[in-house]
Amino acid sequence: MRNYIAVVFDDTSKAYEGLHALWQMDDEGAITVHGTTVVHRNDWGEYQVDSKDTHPALATAVGVGMGALLGALAGPAGAAIGAAKGAAIGAASGGAVGAVTDVARADTRDESRYETAWVLGYGQSAVIADVSEDTAFMVDERMRRLGGSVHRRAYGDVRDDKWFGDYPYDYYLYPYEYVPPYSPWWA
Amino acid sequence: MPETQVKDAVDQVRASTQELHKAISDAAAKRGGAAKADLEAVPMKAKAAIDSIKSSVATQNTAAKKHLTEAVTLLEATQKHATDGVKASGKAFQTAVRQTIADARAAVQHVSEAVAAKRTAGAAAGARK
Repeated sequence: MRNYIAVVFDDTSKAYEGLHALWQMDDEGAITVHGTTVVHRNDWGEYQVDSKDTHPALATAVGVGMGALLGALAGPAGAAIGAAKGAAIGAASGGAVGAVTDVARADTRDESRYETAWVLGYGQSAVIADVSEDTAFMVDERMRRLGGSVHRRAYGDVRDDKWFGDYPYDYYLYPYEYVPPYSPWWA
Repeated sequence: MPETQVKDAVDQVRASTQELHKAISDAAAKRGGAAKADLEAVPMKAKAAIDSIKSSVATQNTAAKKHLTEAVTLLEATQKHATDGVKASGKAFQTAVRQTIADARAAVQHVSEAVAAKRTAGAAAGARK
């Protein structure tokens, strides 16, 4: 089954460990990873998305696309994007917030459709991934051991989401393990 | 924990298309002449990926074949847009780079879907034994 997953970690380094573990599981043939990225929420509540794209136009596109994907994954107001109303989602490159986008519309969505809404708290990071998996157990167990909590939504459901259906989410997920050069993973 | 799989032709194709996307997105993060110089190598790399898909597609299952065929179409578009980008400048160059990245990303996507189809078929065959 193909799913979008979000794995929330309290610590940025652990998020990169989680990212690495997913690609390792892919290498082992346990799952197939189609794309990943890491989203951070800083101590001021701003969102940053790992991205190589430094051109302002591309950074804005990444911000808008990831905002939409996070909203589709996390659910309504009170979850990730709802909490970020009026805040910034940027393409983080060199540690900077690259763009600001208005994600206020996320709070107009139907809350009852989501049973597993989650919150990306201040200082937390989440690995966002598009994966094919035969069972949820393997990813859940591996991430649990790293201290991450897994939230999952079927790929088809996200694609069918009437609010966010037009966004090419995959464009914002790296189809290989990408860790920005400034990340604590390299420390 | 499953054993690390022996990499077959589709895995190799996936690695080369991932590498292609990496090269294009690295090029896009550069400025001016440096970006263009890196982009010049893209059509050749895309052609190499196309050739290796074509040589491996016959042995794949139907679902994998479908995705690999789509990937070839997208890699051809990658070639074209990269070639256009090398000849262009300014806004046209930025547009061509964006299209090249999008095409390459979609091509990798299809190849990884072919890998997933192959793994699912392998798991089902294993379960029947």
